[in-house]
Amino acid sequence: MTKQWKLKEIVLLSILGVVFAVIYLLAFGIGQGLVGALTPFGIGPLGYEFIYGIWFIVSIIAAYIIRKPGAAFISELIAGVVQVLIGSPAGPQLIISAAVQGLGAESAFAVTKWQDYRKRVLILAAVLTAIISFAWHFYSSGFFAYEAWLVGVMLITRIISSILIMALLGKWISDQLAKTGVLRGYALGKEHQQNRDQDAA
Amino acid sequence: MLPMISAINPTVKAIAVLIPGILLGLTFDVFTPLVYLLFIISVTFLLSDLSFKRWIKFFVPFFLFIASFSWARLLYTSETFQDGSVLFSFWAFEVTTGGLLVAVSLALRSLCFIALSLLFIMTTDSTKFMLSLMQQLRLSPKITYGVLAGYRFLPTFKHELEVLRQAHRVRGVGRAKGIRGRIRQFKRYSIPLLANSIRKAERVANAMESKGFTGEHDRTHYHQMTVTKRDWRFLGMMVGALFLAFVASYYFGYLNIFGYQVN
Repeated sequence: MTKQWKLKEIVLLSILGVVFAVIYLLAFGIGQGLVGALTPFGIGPLGYEFIYGIWFIVSIIAAYIIRKPGAAFISELIAGVVQVLIGSPAGPQLIISAAVQGLGAESAFAVTKWQDYRKRVLILAAVLTAIISFAWHFYSSGFFAYEAWLVGVMLITRIISSILIMALLGKWISDQLAKTGVLRGYALGKEHQQNRDQDAA
Repeated sequence: MLPMISAINPTVKAIAVLIPGILLGLTFDVFTPLVYLLFIISVTFLLSDLSFKRWIKFFVPFFLFIASFSWARLLYTSETFQDGSVLFSFWAFEVTTGGLLVAVSLALRSLCFIALSLLFIMTTDSTKFMLSLMQQLRLSPKITYGVLAGYRFLPTFKHELEVLRQAHRVRGVGRAKGIRGRIRQFKRYSIPLLANSIRKAERVANAMESKGFTGEHDRTHYHQMTVTKRDWRFLGMMVGALFLAFVASYYFGYLNIFGYQVN
């Protein structure tokens, strides 16, 4: 999958995975807080859903910057593995969740044959990731045992959170990074450079 | 003689923890996860020199978190599990024995996940785990060493954050007020930190290439990770015990797969 990748793209992918693994772990703490606040009403599990998009964000950033098949999937997978290395109590299970989430995002880019990175495709990736990861949690975390309406509300919250945080915030962060000029050697930076040249001409 | 957990090949160990983790998702009865949880805890302490104090420090916070999820399951149990008599009422909620049983079952399942995870992370060296993923699962060396390099950079982030904060202070940028200020502050910290790590990634890649790193699998290793018979024995033990738990559960008439009472 990574045969036609440059080494620096792979190292960037790995380092993004490591950086976001830390952010994912911190988000875990925020999620715990929200869960705690909602527990008295019996809707604790919703706490995570509000910020679920955070755990998908590296897929969008990596895919949007590097623009090669596999970027979304591998970066998310690396973030999962690194969380285990750092010592997330969710343990190796996390690697499966990460793979499922990565596949969700990757499938959206596969639909457009890894050619199209406009906002609408990023949003599609966010929606697919939310749905596919939800299906996995439906099985592994026993959402099956909740009433149907609560499952519905959780799914919708996850989709919205995923669109806002994963797609829109992810794109914004990548564009800001491209503006600093550090991405000159990567696909997104080159696109920004082209746009600037056109504006100047 | 059973092997010590810390000496098990990390990849095999991860698989030995993953398979039961996936299969446990099938059960909705109390008996199966309870038996397996007791098994994991005994394995943890019989086959490693982990101190109970360190283990429990990780385990307890998750207890509270799982309690929250179980409480939700208790109040919003799906109809599949709404059988049995009403135990008690809370506001507009009626808790039935069926609901209570499934909430306890899922709580025990989550405790199994956490016990399995602790078993893994507390006995595994992270570098060796990466090396083993490369040597046993043929993870690309480019990714392996990229991740190890990134992992090595983690401690420097704290220092960089401190430098950024001082740089802001020198230029008279104070703490942010209000939501807009917070957003601007988020940008002021996150973008430079990420930009720095991207620069580092590029420098590391250049350094690797200049030292003749090709990223081919055909290379020598300083740490040779191997899989031996005792690794397979460990895998067999972890998965076999779960099957025994399933069989025992079936034998005693408890087994419940996805709300469907078997036998």
